[in-house]
Amino acid sequence: MTPALAAAAAAVFRIVPLACEGDRLAVSGGGVLRLAAGASCAAVVPGRALTIALDADGRVTPRPPDPQARPAAEIPRVAYVFAPAAAAQTDQTELVDATIDVVVPPRTPPTDDIYISTDRSGWSPSEVRMDRVDARHYRLGLRLHRGARVLFRVTRGSYGTIERDAAMALPPAHVLVAEPGADVTVVVANWADVD
Amino acid sequence: MRRLAAGVAAGVLAAVPAAASARPAASLDGGTVVFFSDTLLVVARDGATLRFADGTTGHADAACVDLKNDRVVLAGHARLAHAEKSAAADAIALELEGPRVDLLDASSGVTRTTRALGPTVPAELDAARFAFPDVADRNAFIRAKHAAITPHADVRFRPAAFPTSVGGLPVPSYLYTFATGAGFAATSLPGSDFDQPYGLWGSPTSLTALHARWEDGPGPAIGLQESFVSGDDAYATAAFDQPLRGYSTHGFDAYRRLGRRYTVSADVTGTIYGTLEHVGTTAAIGAFGGRADYSRTTAGASTFDASLHTPDEPLFAGATWRLKADAGFDAQRGGLLFPLPDAKRYPLVWRHGLDLSVATPVVRMPLKTTLAMTFDAARTWYAFPHRYDVLSASAIASRQLTRKLRLFGGYQESWSAQVYPGLQQLFYPVPTVPILTPDGTPYYGYAAYSGASVLRAVDLDAQYTPTSTSAVHLTVVHTDDFPQYRGFGRPQWQAGADVRVHPFPNFGIDVGRFYDFAWGGTRWVPRWSFAITP
Repeated sequence: MTPALAAAAAAVFRIVPLACEGDRLAVSGGGVLRLAAGASCAAVVPGRALTIALDADGRVTPRPPDPQARPAAEIPRVAYVFAPAAAAQTDQTELVDATIDVVVPPRTPPTDDIYISTDRSGWSPSEVRMDRVDARHYRLGLRLHRGARVLFRVTRGSYGTIERDAAMALPPAHVLVAEPGADVTVVVANWADVD
Repeated sequence: MRRLAAGVAAGVLAAVPAAASARPAASLDGGTVVFFSDTLLVVARDGATLRFADGTTGHADAACVDLKNDRVVLAGHARLAHAEKSAAADAIALELEGPRVDLLDASSGVTRTTRALGPTVPAELDAARFAFPDVADRNAFIRAKHAAITPHADVRFRPAAFPTSVGGLPVPSYLYTFATGAGFAATSLPGSDFDQPYGLWGSPTSLTALHARWEDGPGPAIGLQESFVSGDDAYATAAFDQPLRGYSTHGFDAYRRLGRRYTVSADVTGTIYGTLEHVGTTAAIGAFGGRADYSRTTAGASTFDASLHTPDEPLFAGATWRLKADAGFDAQRGGLLFPLPDAKRYPLVWRHGLDLSVATPVVRMPLKTTLAMTFDAARTWYAFPHRYDVLSASAIASRQLTRKLRLFGGYQESWSAQVYPGLQQLFYPVPTVPILTPDGTPYYGYAAYSGASVLRAVDLDAQYTPTSTSAVHLTVVHTDDFPQYRGFGRPQWQAGADVRVHPFPNFGIDVGRFYDFAWGGTRWVPRWSFAITP
């Protein structure tokens, strides 16, 4: 028994199975684990997350769902028959808070609201109104699935008031990748309707 | 006639989707198909079948399509067939558009082949290709049985239910567009209080969509819009809008970026009152910015304006200034200066102007407050004894009371004057009878109006953000303008509340209620705003 297995033996892990056949359990990322003696594939449904317990020999047993389960990325490499799952594999059921900060130019009409338009709504120009921080600084918190990638643009509520770059052209969409504490700051250079 | 032509044009565009739609590259069927809009993942469970346009078919216990990376994973008893050939594995990873196929056998490892299922060769495991997402179906945006996928463009679900939407009705078919070109946000429909698009046909470069709308005044309306998009660099849209009670409108909007410095645009808006046509261009000349716009109406009016402005230059202590110069003309068939007895001699009047603006930075003040101000002075000279002056200023202060509660106070004032030396009385005569407001009350103050007007507004705003995704806004606005009377200008008092909540991960709602008080002969005028957010 390796020290890594000894440390992990008491733990349970959350995995997404790809397939289970005989004593082999393939998990998301392509890693293959070996089932413990007496364990069966009966409770394994490909594509549906489940919890597994790891024994001291590196063999696994499917278990009922456990909210304390550790991510698959923490399964010791020595437990795998073949290559381990990707280290970056994350629990995409996890919702994380991400923040968008927007700084607007001084010539922004002072009573106008600022909105975020994203690909999630088919680019509705007034999708979500931002919260004001001060005269020229706005903020919006979004709760997203971890790893989500949101493309967005800044408007004042209509497409005629969408942001423009320093050359007064439509800029590419900004990108927010949802990781814990993610914060994207956008400085609006110009508005389509304001010189 | 123009309305008819616009209607026919929009109808033809909608009726010929072949020009605008692309054939799906793949379809995915399952006992359940769920879609996550924020991660662009489609997951099929309880028996998945994948069909490619080239005839390749795949079957598995479950399947996942990652639309952002164009990758597919077939998981559990996976089989792939192409023509007479077939392959089986515990899991199969393949591409939506590319030929690569990776086969994972839990007892022997990974082998690689192509979509044509030629000979297999041993291969290194590429973990990213076999990533099956850990997602909770209850958070899905759409639940369906069938998904037809066009890479980089859209996915159509049949039938589509929205499990996280309160009261959301299932629909036989729903097209979700994830093409990212800036022009997909463009619209040539008129403004509305609520607009819910419903995609009919799409491709990576086009979209035909119906719009269920609520418009201020007419109420419910249906819009039809066709969009053609070329990345972030160009788009063209045409739209037709028909309120259930009211007159139809049509519109056209096009934009093109020319290199790093120039853009051109054109738009047309048609209503029962006539058509407005506009063409424009912008230019970045070093740090300077310029633009030129020409517009005309079917009523015989036209304007041209060309302007050049400096960048924001530092002044002192973080303040900046900016100067804009412009020149152009105003024209009107039959004469522009209609109070003149010989107005027909002036069908077109040239003008030029200067506009200086100064802005302070956001300055931290005592008591955790901040303050920012702007000042603006502009004068326009006309090729006629006439000038137009504007002086305006604004100030916005904010104070953070607690981590979740902020207060804002704003003041805006703008003074403007139309000056006709020697002819002021002709253009702004004293009314011989008092102006009557809608409730019959005379407004004697109008006699003092001789071309100079003032707009003043004070607003107070409280913003409460209990969580990162919810907010409550309370707003009160008082205006004190001249001239201003019941039925003319802005209401003297307005108040409103706006609430944004996010009861489900994929469903948010923003509801606002606003009142104009004691205005136009009524006690108060309520207004609603409503938005559904992903």
